[in-house]
Amino acid sequence: MLNPLRTEEEAFRFLLYAIAVITVIVAIILIARAIF
Amino acid sequence: MEAASIAHAVHGEHDHHGPPPANHSSRVEPQLLGMLLFIISEIMVFGAFFTAYFFIRVANGDPWPAHGTTLPVLPTLFNTFILVSSSFTMHWAQTGIKNGNRFALKAGILTTFLLGCTFLFLQINEYANIGFAPQNGAQQTIFYSLTGLHGAHVTIGLILLLLVCVRAFRGHYTPEEHRGVEIPGIYWHFVDVMWIVVFVTVYVI
Repeated sequence: MLNPLRTEEEAFRFLLYAIAVITVIVAIILIARAIF
Repeated sequence: MEAASIAHAVHGEHDHHGPPPANHSSRVEPQLLGMLLFIISEIMVFGAFFTAYFFIRVANGDPWPAHGTTLPVLPTLFNTFILVSSSFTMHWAQTGIKNGNRFALKAGILTTFLLGCTFLFLQINEYANIGFAPQNGAQQTIFYSLTGLHGAHVTIGLILLLLVCVRAFRGHYTPEEHRGVEIPGIYWHFVDVMWIVVFVTVYVI
């Protein structure tokens, strides 16, 4: 993924990737908050 | 004599009047490069607003949201799903025109536009009912600034989508030439990614 905004298709794939990564980060933060 | 032949050679390279054609790399089309650089500058603008947000919350240690205020997380989560689904319809339109499917292009663009309008309407409705104003405090200011900056981007995206929609219904775009759909699409996905970041930082975390 040299440039995720080279085509609409790659931009859309980047959106899905961003959603997945952000969901994981938020889940980790919320779980850590619940535990500690 | 020599000077004249050089002048002729130079003239021969540029038959047309006006400035020479702009140089561009073979790897990235100028239109895509323009949108990419624009998006990079947009990320910097959003970064400035996020800096203010994190300064208030982390460096200053102020409560979030401010005492006596609540943020409508569930309605905004619903609104987030609306915006995310508009990226799927945008992609549907894009793959549609690539495959020569004009129905998918028109239906996809129109649905994307309507979903975007719904998002903006719900956001404005949230402002009207949220119960605090930008001048009430630092947290309220940055809440309106971040969501308002994003709302401005949705508005610009909707104007682009409206233009694409009108052109699509008038028979423009082909499987070979559909850059006019592709580049607003990239912008729309950017607006969507940015909303997810704004939603997570402002409403969830």
